[in-house]
Amino acid sequence: MSTTDRDVRSVFVELADTLVADFDVIDFLDTLSRRVVELLDVSACGVLLADHHGALNLVAASTEQARLLELFQIQNSEGPCLDCHRTGWPVQSPDLTHAEGRWPNFAPAARRFGFAAVQALPMRLREETIGALNLFSANTGILSPDAVELGQALANAATIGILHERAVRRHELVIDQLQSALNSRVLIEQAKGVLAERLGFSVDEAFTALRAHARATNRKLAEVARAVIDDGLIITAPPAP
Amino acid sequence: MNTVDEGRAGRVWASIDAIARREGAPPSIRHVCLACAAELKAGVGLSMTRDGGLREPVFATDPASEELQELQFTLGEGPCVDALTRHGTVLAADLSGVEYERRWPIFAPAVRERGIEAVFSFPVQAGAVRFGVLDVYRPEAGPLCPDELTDALLYADAAFGLALDDQGGITATVNNLLGDGFVGRQAALHQAAGMVSVQLGVTVAEGLARLRGYAFANDLRLGSLAVEVVARRLRFHPDALPPGAGGPRDNGADPSTGTTKDVDR
Repeated sequence: MSTTDRDVRSVFVELADTLVADFDVIDFLDTLSRRVVELLDVSACGVLLADHHGALNLVAASTEQARLLELFQIQNSEGPCLDCHRTGWPVQSPDLTHAEGRWPNFAPAARRFGFAAVQALPMRLREETIGALNLFSANTGILSPDAVELGQALANAATIGILHERAVRRHELVIDQLQSALNSRVLIEQAKGVLAERLGFSVDEAFTALRAHARATNRKLAEVARAVIDDGLIITAPPAP
Repeated sequence: MNTVDEGRAGRVWASIDAIARREGAPPSIRHVCLACAAELKAGVGLSMTRDGGLREPVFATDPASEELQELQFTLGEGPCVDALTRHGTVLAADLSGVEYERRWPIFAPAVRERGIEAVFSFPVQAGAVRFGVLDVYRPEAGPLCPDELTDALLYADAAFGLALDDQGGITATVNNLLGDGFVGRQAALHQAAGMVSVQLGVTVAEGLARLRGYAFANDLRLGSLAVEVVARRLRFHPDALPPGAGGPRDNGADPSTGTTKDVDR
């Protein structure tokens, strides 16, 4: 395992902190996707959540490649995240060169992006699977049992975070939380388009700028997105490489 | 399920279409309210926003719902108001609770006087594009069951599609609307709406309506058009007239569509 107990503890503390006051699902999952990469020593991570249509939506990704691959899975209705969400069980492929029978579109696409292995972990609380976490590795081979266990623990923490476990037992509140998260995501996509066009960026550079601005000003992504759209907030920070 | 539940959305749209056909009219947000009321066995009211702020009741399926829509508008309090300010659903399954008397001191008792015990409000929105709120009034207390809740969200999505087409001056068939599913799912669509809003100097709502109008006029899938815009293979020009308006233009702008394709395409 590539991480120390202290790293793991500090990530759980960080995630728990975001759960306490002023919780925002998008910021939370954005943080989660980046921490998962650091802790589990994988190359990239993406998070998908289901909406009321039963369709999976991309809500966070640690890298551009992960983002594209998640969207690819959604568009083609094929891939580990979808299998994982449907069954509620982890899905893994330690070598994508042998996965073309299973995912004829996804496997070659993932390899083109430089990934050799993939693992999907369910975001599940009791009977309800609300989404899935996708881990991409540049090297073949299965993740160590420790890493899988830690990844699942992070996925569980995220699920509970989203469902506000203690307060939320009812389906309607779950729907409310998910609706609100997905609507924030739409808002962020719109703001990416607005910024990209204003600044001559690609939409991904626009997102990097949006995220950097949210961090620097300690505001939520959705809040900054709304300010960009409604108040004409100007973000001039050049995108990070 | 990992694919879109077209079956459920399809049933919702079919119920809207059936009512529209009975009237011999194209589907409209009024038909959404009527179909939703029949499906949920409830009163339904729809309020629309103006410039994202003030809202006004535009339709209700029965006199009690109409009074309650008007009352929320007059008082500035109620689930519809909260749904607008919070940008989220409001589910008040039992108005006899003390919390609702505190939250809506005038509205909550007024609702119960009319024999309504539960109200549910669903924003008709996609991110910054906010058209209004769909309110559901039920005489008996108790939450909507999961299927009812899903249906209510789908009716709100349907209202979104029809409100968008109203704005763009489009009259589409239910099949066309269902195929283009506006809300959620398509990241590129919302990015493109943001880009077009800047290209044309209009709101994101108008940007989305223009995209939809262009796709409809040219018989394109909205999702494919959005991808072209995001890849910057297609731009909208403010000096061109809106779709269908015609008129001569220079700079290579296509007069009938208000767009220009990049030279490298």
